[in-house]
Order: sequence, then C-alpha cells, then structure tokens
Amino acid sequence: MKKVTRMKRKGLLILFLFFSMTTLSGCWSKKELTDIAFVIGVGLDKTEDGKYLVSFQVVSPGNVAGAVQQGGGGGYGLPVTVFKVRGDNLVEASRQGARMVSRQLYFAHTNLLVIGEDLAREGLHEIFDALERNSQFRTTTSVIVAHNARAENILTLLTPLDKIPANKVIKTLETAEHVWGENIDVKVGDIIQDLVSSGKEPVISGFKLIGDAENGKRKEHLETTDPDVRLTADGLAVFRDGKLIGWLIGKDARAATTILKKIKSTVINIDWKGKKESIVYKVTREHTKVKAIIKNGRPEISINIDIEGDIGETKVPVDFSDPNEIMKLQKRLEKEFENEIEHSVNKVQELKSDIFGFGEALHRTAPQLWKKKYQNHWNDTWFPELEVNVQVSAFIRRTGLRYNPYFWDKDQGGD
Amino acid sequence: MPLWWKKHEKKMKEIQDKQNRNDQSGMAKCVPDEPLQDKLEDNLQTMKETTGKSSDIVYRFIKAGQNPEVSVAIVYTEGLVDHQTINECLIESLLNNHDWQTQISPQKAFALIERKVVSVGDVKTVNHWGDLFLSLMSGETIILIDGMRKAISLGTKGGDKRSIQEPSTQLSLRGPRDGFTESIRTNTAMVRRRIKNPNLWLDTMKIGKVTQTDVAIMYIKGIANEEIVQEVRKRLNRINIDSILESGYIEQLMEDQTFTPFPTIYHTERPDVVAANLLEGRVAIFVDGTPFVLIAPALFIQFFQAVEDYYARFDIATALRFLRVLIFFISLVAPAVYISATTFHQEMIPTLLVIAIAAQREAVPFPAFVEALIMEVTFEILREAGIRLPRAVGQALSVVGAIVIGQAAIQAGIVSPAMVIIVSITAIASLATPALSIAISARLIRFLLMFLAAGFGFYGVIIGVMIMIIHLCSLRSFGVPYMAPLAPFIPSNSGDTIFRIPTWAFKERPRLISQKNIVRQGKHQRPGPPDKEGIDTNEKGDKNET
Repeated sequence: MKKVTRMKRKGLLILFLFFSMTTLSGCWSKKELTDIAFVIGVGLDKTEDGKYLVSFQVVSPGNVAGAVQQGGGGGYGLPVTVFKVRGDNLVEASRQGARMVSRQLYFAHTNLLVIGEDLAREGLHEIFDALERNSQFRTTTSVIVAHNARAENILTLLTPLDKIPANKVIKTLETAEHVWGENIDVKVGDIIQDLVSSGKEPVISGFKLIGDAENGKRKEHLETTDPDVRLTADGLAVFRDGKLIGWLIGKDARAATTILKKIKSTVINIDWKGKKESIVYKVTREHTKVKAIIKNGRPEISINIDIEGDIGETKVPVDFSDPNEIMKLQKRLEKEFENEIEHSVNKVQELKSDIFGFGEALHRTAPQLWKKKYQNHWNDTWFPELEVNVQVSAFIRRTGLRYNPYFWDKDQGGD
Repeated sequence: MPLWWKKHEKKMKEIQDKQNRNDQSGMAKCVPDEPLQDKLEDNLQTMKETTGKSSDIVYRFIKAGQNPEVSVAIVYTEGLVDHQTINECLIESLLNNHDWQTQISPQKAFALIERKVVSVGDVKTVNHWGDLFLSLMSGETIILIDGMRKAISLGTKGGDKRSIQEPSTQLSLRGPRDGFTESIRTNTAMVRRRIKNPNLWLDTMKIGKVTQTDVAIMYIKGIANEEIVQEVRKRLNRINIDSILESGYIEQLMEDQTFTPFPTIYHTERPDVVAANLLEGRVAIFVDGTPFVLIAPALFIQFFQAVEDYYARFDIATALRFLRVLIFFISLVAPAVYISATTFHQEMIPTLLVIAIAAQREAVPFPAFVEALIMEVTFEILREAGIRLPRAVGQALSVVGAIVIGQAAIQAGIVSPAMVIIVSITAIASLATPALSIAISARLIRFLLMFLAAGFGFYGVIIGVMIMIIHLCSLRSFGVPYMAPLAPFIPSNSGDTIFRIPTWAFKERPRLISQKNIVRQGKHQRPGPPDKEGIDTNEKGDKNET
C-alpha cells in the first residue's frame, strides 16, 4: 500500500515535470504566418562606395491573386513590395532590414537570387558563403544575372500573368530551358560547386530589362495589353574565377546548354533548296557525350551529340516520304548543328573560361596527369588551345501530322 | 501526502463501509430468502407486502375441482408475460371441465396441475421467496396452491419487444440486414441461427444485485481459448454492482485497463460480426436490455475491419482497409500537422500554398492553435448537440451549424478558410472510421496532439504519436497483446491487418486468440478455371474439427 502511494507520487511528479516542460519552454521558435515576411526574391548590387545594396522582394499575401477578400476591404494592392538596404555584408543588410519591415524577414521561400551585372563583374566569391550558411536560405534557389541592369530594377518590376515577379522569372527560366534551350536554371548549389571545381566554371542565365525601369514599378504599366517594360531571359553569363567576363547570346548560348546536357528541346532551322532558314526541325530528344582523350601529350575533347526530332515547318516543297530526302536532310542538320556547336566552343575558348566542364572530363580520364600537369594552368593555357571534335548525328523521327506539304502537288516533279 | 488528507480518507472509508453494510441488510429485507408458507392467504400477503402492492402485478384466484375445491392463485406481472399463453394454456385449462377436476384433492393438486393441466413448455418448481420473485419479475407466471409450501413457475415470458430491425450503427451495403434487439433471447437465437453447431455454448448468469440482469457468455467450445473463457467468466463473477443497464457497464467493469483512450473490448450490433468473431475464437457477452453485444478479446486492428471487408472481393477490401488506416491517421493528426506546419515549419509548405494560407490568415486575430481549437471545439459542440437533438429541431441545427462553421466564421474574420477545410476533413475522417469507439479515442488524442503541435511543432507531434504507439503496444486485452498480429508480429495472421488477403488464403485463425484449433479451411481452396486434367478440389485436407 505504501509502495503504491510512493509510486503514485513519483508518477505525479513526473507528470508535473512533463507539464512544466511543455509550458515553460513556451513554443520555442514559433512564428505565426502573420508575423513573418516572405522574402521571395533577393537582389544584390554594389554601390559606388563599395557596399552592398540588398533588395528584398517581399510578398504581400493579401494582394496575391487567389487569396480571398478579407473582411474590412483590403482593396487591390500590389502583390509585392521591395525593401532596399545598404550594408557591408549580407547578414548585416538583412538584419538592418528589420528597421524597415514590420515583420521578420523569412528566407525559406526565397526562390530567386538576382545578381547585378556590376557586382557580377567584380566577383561572386564572397557572397555565397552567407547564403549557404543560413539555415533558412535554400541552395536550390535559382540565380540569374541582370544583363545590363541592376538587380534592384529587376526586382521592382511588376509583371503580368504571374503576379509575383520572382515567380515569373523562375517560370520563364524553366519554360525557356524546356522549349528553347538558350537558358539554364542554375541553382545556388550548382554555382558553389562550379566555383570550387578547377575544371569547370559557372554559367548563369541572364535577364534583360526592356524599357524604363521606373515605369515598371507602377501598377499602371500593367493596365495595358502591351506593357512597355518587360523582362526577358537573355543569354548566358560566362564567369571566370567568379567574375563575369562575357556573354553568350542566341545560338552560342544554345550550343553551350547542349554541351552541358541541359537542353531538353529546341528548334533548328536549316537552309534548303536555296531558301534561307526554310525547314524547321523540332528537337525532342537530345543526348550529349563529352569525352576527353590525350593524344601526343595534348588533351583532346570529343563531343558526340545525338538529336532526335520532328519536322515542324517547311517553306519549300520537300518529299518527306522519300527516305533519301530524309537522309539528306539529316546530313544537313548534322552539319548545321556541328557548326553551331563549334562556333560556340571557339567563342568560349576566346573567353578563356571552361564553362563546359572539359577540364572535369579530362580529370576523369587522366586523374594523375590532370593534377600534375593541367590543373593549374587549365583556363589560361590548355583550354583555349584545346582540340574539340564535334560529331552530331541527327534523326528525323516524324514529320508531323502529314508527309508532304499542301503545296507539294503543284510542284510535283519540278525538282 | 499531507496528514489531513489521510485522515479525511480514513473517515470517508468508514462512512462508506457503514453504508455498504446498511445496503446489504436492506437487500435482504427486500427479498426474504425464506421458504414459502402453508396458507395461500399468507403467501399472497407476503407477496403484496414485498412488492408494495404494485399495480402491475396481477393476482387471479381460481377454484379448481368440484369436491373438494382447491384454491389456486395465479400471479404474473402485466406487460412481461404473453397473455395468449396464460389464457389458452393455463386459465382455460384450469377453468374448463376436464376429467382431472374430479380427481383433485388438496394433496394431489400440485402434481396434477404441474403435470396435467398446464400446457406450457417451461415449468419449474419454486420453494423460496427469492426464486419466486426472480421468476415473477422476469415474466414468468407463478401458480400458488393453498396448502402447498411450494409454487409452480411457468415460462410465459413475452410482452412487447422491438422487432428485429436494421442496426443503426455499423451499416453495410452488402451483408445481412438484421441487428440485435433489446431481448437477450432473440439475440442469442440470431447467432445460433448462423452457427448451427452443438459446440456453440451459452453460459448464462445474472449480474446486478438490484436489476438481476441476464448476462450470457457465448463461445464455440473447441475453438475458443479455454483460458480466455475462464478469464471472462472470472471477471464477470467478480462484478458486484447494483445494476447493469447496458453492456457498457460490463465493459468498464471487466476491461484490462481503465486509463487508456483505446477500447479493449469490441461491441457490435450485428449478429454476423458476433458469429465471425466467435469463429475466430473470441467470446461474446450478451446483456439483456441492450442491442450491443461485447466481444473479447479485442485487438487494435479489429476496429478497422468492417464487415463488408469480408463480403467484398479482396482487392476492394484491401484498398478500403488502407483507406481506413489513412482515415484514422488523418483524424488523429490533421489539425496538429496544420498547426505545426503553419507556426513552426513554414519552409515545408510549397511557396504558393504558404502565401495563400498567409493571405487567408492575414485578418485572423488568433494564432493558428487558438483558431484550430475554436473550430474543433465548435464542431464537437455541434456533433454533441446533433446526437441528442429531437428530430424536429435537427434541421435547424444543421443549417445554423453549416453557417457558423462555414461561412460566417470566415466572414467574421475569426477563422481562415484553410482551417475550415482542415476541421471538415478531420470531422469527416473521424466519422468514416468503421468502429465509432476507436474514432472517439482518436478524437481525444487529437486534442492532445494539437497542444503538442502548438508547443513543439512536428517534434511534439512525433513525440506524441510515439508515446501513443508505445502505449498501444503495452495494452493487453484479456492477456492478448492489443497490437497483435503487428506487434508481436505474427506472419501467418498478418493477412488480415492493413490489407486483406483473398478468402481462400485465410488458412489460420488468429493464433493468440484461438490457440488450439487454428486451422480454418481445407487445402486447395483457391478457385480457378476448369482444368482439363481436373484438379481434385475436394481433396481431404485437414478439415475443421468442429
């Protein structure tokens, strides 16, 4: 009997302790949704006096489409606001932000990091540590470089369709990567990896601002079917030693993404029957193989590319039911694409920055030699002189819903 | 413990002991356990005194025989007896002229009436007042004869009963439509009709000192574990209480553990469920006056097994079983997960969703936890009111409830639409669980988990769920581990847990419940298309011994 009461008392004590544990610790690290400011995009610029200018694009949840009207009439406001803070470093800037924002800045949903071109040219090395070290910030955040623009201007622009500008940028990147292939959606983690790798340099997609940035801040510019301020994906920024040294635009950019195996689908135009850009070939499947070999003490790179796709359009009469014709077309496509790739490789070799990861390929084939011989002078001496052999094999899988174009009959036999 | 408390406790105990003693002496006075007297008048006098001249007890005098006449009294309780039987089989034959009328004498009257006059099946002789009143109160008819120190008791139980109807709980689309009624005899008959086997044993006793309620244990000899049957009997015999008004009384007095939110005894309104459980080796406990029959031992997984699982094809049954386990978890953790995700782990919610939720919460003045608590409590109030509401007012409640919980609360800015969705999902989930008793435990634990979520986020929820699982594993139902056959894991029985294997694959009964006679069906039960060579499907196999 006595034992039972003692046990009971012990149980009560434990219960009491457990209860006080729950109540005294008091909701550690609890934050209500209404007390945090969702930073959806971060912009980094350099000021004249060498400080950082950090722009935080913060969502105003009540104004994002899809949210219900709250009692008390929230009105129709802007989906985001941008806070700009100066600071010697990123952490300081983000803390200083507290003076301007009524809520705690919350970085777990930051999807976009915009780097101003000025800052990019000065170097990225020091900024990524703060991002990687922060527990909220994700290394899966997409990164873009503002082409000929400041990051703050890109973040302050209001966009149509996607109400949240940062989302618009990310979705543009994704669709552009998917259907056009000139851009890559690069994440913070990828860049850090490329920065530390000696055999590969980072590339980051660029975004260009068309029109006056001041006008883009206001809602009025969206109240037209053709906004005069626009944001478009534009080229790839080439880095060397963490510094921006040049841009790849258009076909060069597409060739670069092809070598990087990031391309999903694209469109190749070829000249046919003397008419320029007359047949359009839609690439639906692509496979790239980059291999390094050492020949006579000199490294060589061979790139094998398999493309497969459909005919999207023709402006000249072609007999697509004729296998020989198809074969000829395929040969032509291969030539066209080989030229494109070679042009891009030459251009990058001029920039002396191995964004393709040829160094890494060489490292894989000859690890010892790489460390001894090539590693230290790769970008300066070896990469620009590199012999690159491009081999493309194209295959036309389908010709769309029909074989011959509707204007084929008229010119039948008139080859 | 402080001293004053001890003193107080001692005092209370003394008072209680005194009361108990008084009670017992009172009982003895009520029903004298003495033999009957000689004279009819004295006996009737005693009966009238004991019953307080209750108006529903009918006394009928008859003079039987011509020379000499014998005074006979018929006593029965109005409403409990079958009038037709009494009129046709007793009074008629007593009054009509038969040859026995001439032979009657006070000495032979008793034997004559018992053997020749009464045309009722169940006839007993009663010697003591205690037995007499018990018979009288359970609807039997008493025949008292002048000069006899004993009485005849006739089984004329009858009166108005509810007819067999479809059960109001545990409905199923496919399967028998009959449900238990309040009459224990009807109920046991319904099970016996399903199991036509002499090994279906029924053991009846009376529990409740005042109510004298009929309680019956039913099991299949040879399949049921003898130890469990003994244990059930022991626990029933131990019960010493004034009244048993529902099987819930017995459930609470015989369960293994009181301080647990989980039921360790199953209850059902369906005779097919009882039959199936008896065949698995369980013991059923019938209580007179309630359609709910207890089944012991009960396992955790049993509360997720709906009857339809066994009547439907196995693939559908398996899918539904999965769904039910999911439902249980939803009803358990949905609000807790919502609270912890929105107040601690915002990074876990997809960006657009978190913004949408934040937008909804923008004008809500309460923290998510308070918001959830308000909605959950509101719903519980609605549910509680809905159960007990007179039908006529039900409509009004549902309209008001829908407005309060749905539209108005959002428009008033008290709760966010997302919260309403969570509460609704939880509410629907908790009603979709096949056994309501486990849904109620989920309901209790849900609030606990909500507190933990508000304090610690997912960490707290996980701790809470872990404690719950540990507790579940520690439970026993009549000595059988509650989580069997999952923990301890019994491979041969695990086919009927979170999935249900085809019926032809149910080779064994639950091992821990029916320990001796485990084999359930013969070999080669798997059906298939006709084979040219002809498979001997009726191979001897080991057939059921029972």
